Amino acid sequence: MADEKEVETTGHQWDDEEGYPLKEYNNPLPKWWLYSYYATIVYAVVYWVLYPAWPIPGGEFTKGVLGWSQYKQLDEEMAAGVAARKPFNDKLAALTTAEITKDSQLLQYAVSAGKAIFGDNCAPCHGSGGVGSRAGGFPTLVDDDWLYGGTVEQISETIHGGRAGQMPAHLDSANGSFTAAQVDDLAQYTLSLSGSSTDSAAVGRGDALYHGDAGCNYCHGDSGKGALLGSAGGEKLDASIGAPNLTDGIWLYGGDAKTVRTSIANGRNGKMPAWATDTEGTNRKLDELEIKQLSIYVHTLGGGK
Amino acid sequence: MGQKNDSIATYDYGIVKMFSVMSIAYAVVGFLVGIILALELAFPELNGGIPYISFGRLRPLHTSAVIFAFGGSVLFATTYYVVQRTCRARLFSDFLSKLTFWGWNLIVVLVVVTYPLGLSQGMEYAEMIWPIDLLIVVVWVAYFINFVGTLAKRKDQHIFVANWFFLAFIITVALLHIINNLAVPVSITASYPVWSGVQSAMIQWWYGHNAVGFFLTAAFLGMMYYFVPKQAERPIYSYRLSIVHFWSLVFLYIWAGPHHLHYTALPDWAGTLGATFSIMLLLPSWGGMINGIMTLSGAWHKLRTDPILRFFIISLSFYGMSTFEGPMMAIKEVNALSHYTDWTVGHVHSGALGWVAMVSFASLYHMIPKLWGTTIHSVKLINLHFWLATVGVVIYIVAMWISGVMQGLMWRAYDDFGNLTYSFAETVAAMHPYYFIRAIGGIVFLLGALVMVYNIYMTISTAKDRPVVAA
Amino acid sequence: MKHETIEKSIPLMAILTFVVVLIGGIVEIVPLFYIESTIEKVEGMRPYTPLELRGQDIYIREGCYNCHSQMIRPFRDEQERYGHYSLAAESMYDHPFQWGSKRTGPDLARVGGKYSNLWHQAHMKNPRDMVPESVMPAYPWLVENDLEYGNITKRMEVLQLVGVPYSKEQIENAVADLKAQAIPDSDSDALLARYGEKVTLQNFDGEPARITELDAIVAYLQVLGTMVDFSSYQAQAR
Repeated sequence: MADEKEVETTGHQWDDEEGYPLKEYNNPLPKWWLYSYYATIVYAVVYWVLYPAWPIPGGEFTKGVLGWSQYKQLDEEMAAGVAARKPFNDKLAALTTAEITKDSQLLQYAVSAGKAIFGDNCAPCHGSGGVGSRAGGFPTLVDDDWLYGGTVEQISETIHGGRAGQMPAHLDSANGSFTAAQVDDLAQYTLSLSGSSTDSAAVGRGDALYHGDAGCNYCHGDSGKGALLGSAGGEKLDASIGAPNLTDGIWLYGGDAKTVRTSIANGRNGKMPAWATDTEGTNRKLDELEIKQLSIYVHTLGGGK
Repeated sequence: MGQKNDSIATYDYGIVKMFSVMSIAYAVVGFLVGIILALELAFPELNGGIPYISFGRLRPLHTSAVIFAFGGSVLFATTYYVVQRTCRARLFSDFLSKLTFWGWNLIVVLVVVTYPLGLSQGMEYAEMIWPIDLLIVVVWVAYFINFVGTLAKRKDQHIFVANWFFLAFIITVALLHIINNLAVPVSITASYPVWSGVQSAMIQWWYGHNAVGFFLTAAFLGMMYYFVPKQAERPIYSYRLSIVHFWSLVFLYIWAGPHHLHYTALPDWAGTLGATFSIMLLLPSWGGMINGIMTLSGAWHKLRTDPILRFFIISLSFYGMSTFEGPMMAIKEVNALSHYTDWTVGHVHSGALGWVAMVSFASLYHMIPKLWGTTIHSVKLINLHFWLATVGVVIYIVAMWISGVMQGLMWRAYDDFGNLTYSFAETVAAMHPYYFIRAIGGIVFLLGALVMVYNIYMTISTAKDRPVVAA
Repeated sequence: MKHETIEKSIPLMAILTFVVVLIGGIVEIVPLFYIESTIEKVEGMRPYTPLELRGQDIYIREGCYNCHSQMIRPFRDEQERYGHYSLAAESMYDHPFQWGSKRTGPDLARVGGKYSNLWHQAHMKNPRDMVPESVMPAYPWLVENDLEYGNITKRMEVLQLVGVPYSKEQIENAVADLKAQAIPDSDSDALLARYGEKVTLQNFDGEPARITELDAIVAYLQVLGTMVDFSSYQAQAR
């Protein structure tokens, strides 16, 4: 009870029946605290003068003497970005692909730009670096197997307009009613083209169907080499069909008997969205320059032709 | 001295005991769910394809369990304890006390049932469907009446400073809750809010930020104002500072909401107000820390022997740190980097674990022996809890600082040509080690809480062996 | 007035606190309802179709907003990554807003049309099949659950009550419109007449015969950020 500071408290006391009673000193506000507090207020007032800050009568707000807005700030940022890339972009737009690939710095630039676009827009389907997806149906871009062609021009065309798979269903469908057994035979023949069939009798029956009633050869070619490489009845096939090569052991949806059977039975209609600005359907569009950059990048990923 | 204890004998400690025990139980649940979530981010297959425990449904359960179940119960317990002792009066109404206890716990149970089922309003910290919202209003009105009714019975004319903060907390939370949750029901479990788009965003963060401001700051400052001087056995440092920082805090805090919406479609002017008021809020926030820490001046030696005081000091330190970090993150340029990243998550946890949980632990350690008329089972275990909690928080915050700043920088990284360097997916992959480390931090923190559970259980169950004769 | 007076009176303390607390909210919130530049005047915004609306309900049910923002900030990196910054007008029919506060996953404000339905189907089934780096949980139940749309009419009536401009025809034909959008090859002329030609009619879930929750959420995701015609938009100070 001999606390000498006792006299300095405010004199009020609470909860004094058990333990130490609650009392209050009345120390002055710490100077550093008070002046810092004032400083923050000054900071705020200056900020209000400079920037948009207070709603005012008449449906308006104070605009600030700097005339700043977050959208003006963006315009400046974007302009700086455009300016930084302008020398490269001008060249890129003017030159042909062949000329670009000869200029190593320009090629580096195009690949860097294409990679940036690819990472957020294409990789979700085609995987980081174009390795494809585990789910099936989204082609890898790092091998030499192209559905619609692997030249920069063909890749660019694919990006521009997108692609739509056209494999029809065969099991009891409007496109031609085949029985489950016939679908099995077709699957066995398809597998035999890459040397992985298990039932030679079925392969023979499937062969007949493939070149006969089912007419698979009209898209995949007589030898099963696909729309790009194959031919049917001596005629070159239309590459825009995108019918895959069935002889190379590379599978878009999977090469086990069950998956191949499913592909034949139900058909496949994989879709690559169109990315050019003048097409419908996608939201994040790519302009001509971006598509060029992207095409060059994708071409460098692996088996570009 | 015997007659001086007359009013203590009349206090309703039963209700305080009930809320105290529930708060510890909810703390464990809240932390545990947090750890599950942390691990789900590190190992995304962890939910095993079960909808009820998928991240999106469980995260609201974690935030509500920690803020409303744990934080809420601690606040009910301590406000009921403090208001009785500082007014020398029994709680206004036993019925209202019981109503708040059973009502609040019913709300928690309903939350635990509805969130995993996906019944949600889709607003952060306000996911409760409309019938639960109505129940909260009922309980809150009962709480207000009970609290104010007790204040009215006070023996001293002057209302003790802790009760200013409690009163402001109860009033403001009511206002925020009602305005933000205005909705038109579709069915018993579904509704659409009255507000949409940009107004909905502004109102939600006016609510969300001040749930932090008044639920987790003002109210816990109230706790601090009672328990720190009581435990330190020192008078509060400055009455004048209490007045200035209380009114400043109450006035300024409410403006800070738009700093959650910088560079969004919220108009620039609103963002400016949010940023500047957040900066002005720094010193008023620190007023509480100064009053708390300076109350200990002259009693520093007690820190060596009293782990409860140490809990108070570390909580005030984390409070000071996060109330500094907050205004910094409210500056538009800083926010441009920190927003949408784990930096925000780290900031919240330095406040929620470092400040709110620690000051709660300390207060419970102080209060529970008094409620049961005994002494704590083991001071050593409090000390162990202190270290586990501190180490856990530090691991957590550091991991989130690194991952947050790193991700923010990766998003805006450009290569020499001026093209984006990283895809979003690459930035996600870079987070993995930190998500794992964060989970470790959480586990260490939970271990501390389990030590507390044991210590408190032993304290209560063997209370009769260590009776404290009223002084 | 001395503080002693205030701290001795509960009503004074309570009322003063209430008034002081009220000011900030009023100044920041109320003008958003009357300052005209707050919500941009743009072409193309329309209320969600019944299917998209149910998709948003499921988006909220699953707590997608906990990890995904729908708010592209006006920064160069975000514009280059996600597209045009988000406008206030684009969320004016969202009750509540879905801007989010955390990007554990990427922003979704303009995810509409970016990926094919097949991608969304595979991604919801197991995100890591599509994006190995992803930490998103799998949502296999979305395609298993048939979409509940019994109270779609009530839902649209409620939204109309709180300000979403659904027409009488749109509300009356909610169920028919929902089916028309989700089931391929159904008669969709009326739906397109009511919601505009841009509405996408697809088999969103890969299950042609059923209307599943996956139909709804993919329909919702596929419309995000696609409504506004940016050729007619001019930025202004806000």
